[in-house]
Amino acid sequence: MKKINADKIVWLILLILSIFLVLFPIYIMFKYSISDRRSWITGGEYPVPWWPFKPTLEMYKYYLGDKRFWSNGWLSLKIALLTVSFSLILGTPAAYSLARFKFNGKAFLLFLILAIRFYPDISSVIPVSYIFNKSFLYNLPNEIKISLAHCLLSLPYIIFIAQGVFETIPVDLEEQALILGTSRFYAFLRIVLPIAAPGLAAGAIYSFLLSWNEFVFSYFITATSVSSEVPLPVYLKTLLGSFSPNLVSISTLSLLVSIPVIIFTFIVQKYMIAGMIKGAVK
Amino acid sequence: MRKILIAFRKNSFLIYSLIPAFLYIGFFALIIGFYLLKLSLTKYAGGDVVLSSTLYNYIKIFDDPMFNKEFSDAFRRTLIFVIVVTPLQLVTGLITAMLINKSFAGRGIVRSILLLPLAIPTIVTTSVLLILFSKGGHMTSLLMGRYSFFPKIFDYEISFISNPYTSIGLSIFGKVWRDTPISMLILLSGLQQINEEQYEAARTMGATAVQNFFYITIPLLMPSISSVLILRSIEAWKEFIFPYILAPSYPILGVLIEKYYVQLMDPGTAAMVGIVLIVCILVTSYVLTYILNKINRYLIRA
Repeated sequence: MKKINADKIVWLILLILSIFLVLFPIYIMFKYSISDRRSWITGGEYPVPWWPFKPTLEMYKYYLGDKRFWSNGWLSLKIALLTVSFSLILGTPAAYSLARFKFNGKAFLLFLILAIRFYPDISSVIPVSYIFNKSFLYNLPNEIKISLAHCLLSLPYIIFIAQGVFETIPVDLEEQALILGTSRFYAFLRIVLPIAAPGLAAGAIYSFLLSWNEFVFSYFITATSVSSEVPLPVYLKTLLGSFSPNLVSISTLSLLVSIPVIIFTFIVQKYMIAGMIKGAVK
Repeated sequence: MRKILIAFRKNSFLIYSLIPAFLYIGFFALIIGFYLLKLSLTKYAGGDVVLSSTLYNYIKIFDDPMFNKEFSDAFRRTLIFVIVVTPLQLVTGLITAMLINKSFAGRGIVRSILLLPLAIPTIVTTSVLLILFSKGGHMTSLLMGRYSFFPKIFDYEISFISNPYTSIGLSIFGKVWRDTPISMLILLSGLQQINEEQYEAARTMGATAVQNFFYITIPLLMPSISSVLILRSIEAWKEFIFPYILAPSYPILGVLIEKYYVQLMDPGTAAMVGIVLIVCILVTSYVLTYILNKINRYLIRA
């Protein structure tokens, strides 16, 4: 009996430690974002306090009233939603066929999906930004260019996750529909997709997060274009790069960028885990 | 001809469903590979093409002493980064996965909290680490003994960003912090497939928790462990953003690419480094797969 207790204590300590490790940086970000000037510029006379002397919401007021922040956020949201729709439209049918049919060259197609993930983002961004900015695609709006580039990153995951989802759906349902005379396309659209929807939601969530958080492709594609609107991560980078960065401003923007996705994760974590597990089993 | 047409019509759904996605991926995979290779075989000076189809960029690694030092330093740092990050992520992922593989009150919330790093943008993580470890920030105050609960370790303010060891260490910490949830999820799916009865059978024979872990959990978890190791090592080679922000003066290969492409306007060298990285990734995943297969076979036989 005593031994079980020891196990439990170790378990509890580790659990608290890992929760602390995850939450501590987020707390620091929050603390800096509401700091007054005296709480972060100490001049070495006293240590940085763990809670600001005079908490203030100055920076939040500044950003929430700032037109540039809203237009950049709107651009980020548009890119993320477009990425989700592009990769679902392209990915789900392909995943369905990969899950259901046996055909020559299937191994090659699977290898192709993996191969694109072998390229480091930072080197594949050179050709990709070249294609989008120096060819006939130049005139596309930024959100479409960037979301097409993000699609390249999310498509392999969507295909893998969706393939796992489709494999769990029994074939009988479609076969009955096919015997009753529907076309393959109709059976896919009206029978398989509705059943697969919760699992596919995981793929959609994953690609939404990926696109919202992505930096490298957004940075390179917007760097060489004329538009002044940039996705939020790139906007944050411009603050980091300045000569004497304002830590309060950085942490406020950081928190504002993270809050939507943090809330989002708490709401949808069930779907996320279910889908990830289905996709990850392979 | 008719036969082909009939076969096409019969499989039209298959073809139409596969073509868009694979045309898209295949087009980009080809273009990226071809373009990188072409760039890496071109010599640039001051942003202009000087010489095309030359191995100059590759020979430069060995011929040019300045570049040789820069490249081998970056390569060493990248190697250290990969060798530390990959197993560390396996360990942290395994610990967190085993922690939440029990049923307890508030499990859903704990799971959401542990998933948070995945949701937070990478650039935000780097900026928080930058704030936390900046001069006059919490970490320096802590190590100088300014807080009453922590002993004094250093007399002077250390600059984490401009020290070769701490800056890479900081990027490693950030990378592990951010990507642990992914390995946690993969390992959790593996853990949930292990039958509880096997543990019970072992317990009736008098196995301890440690024996249970090494003789049941680890062997049955091998598929998940291999996929974590392979996927995470690929991602570790590809890492760019953490060292880019946190260790700007001590570049790893990914940061070297940015430096040559953006700052020095030398796409040839940048592409060459990219090709080297791709080769490293391919070699690592091949070797890892081979070793893990060997281990797997050994475990199953034993």
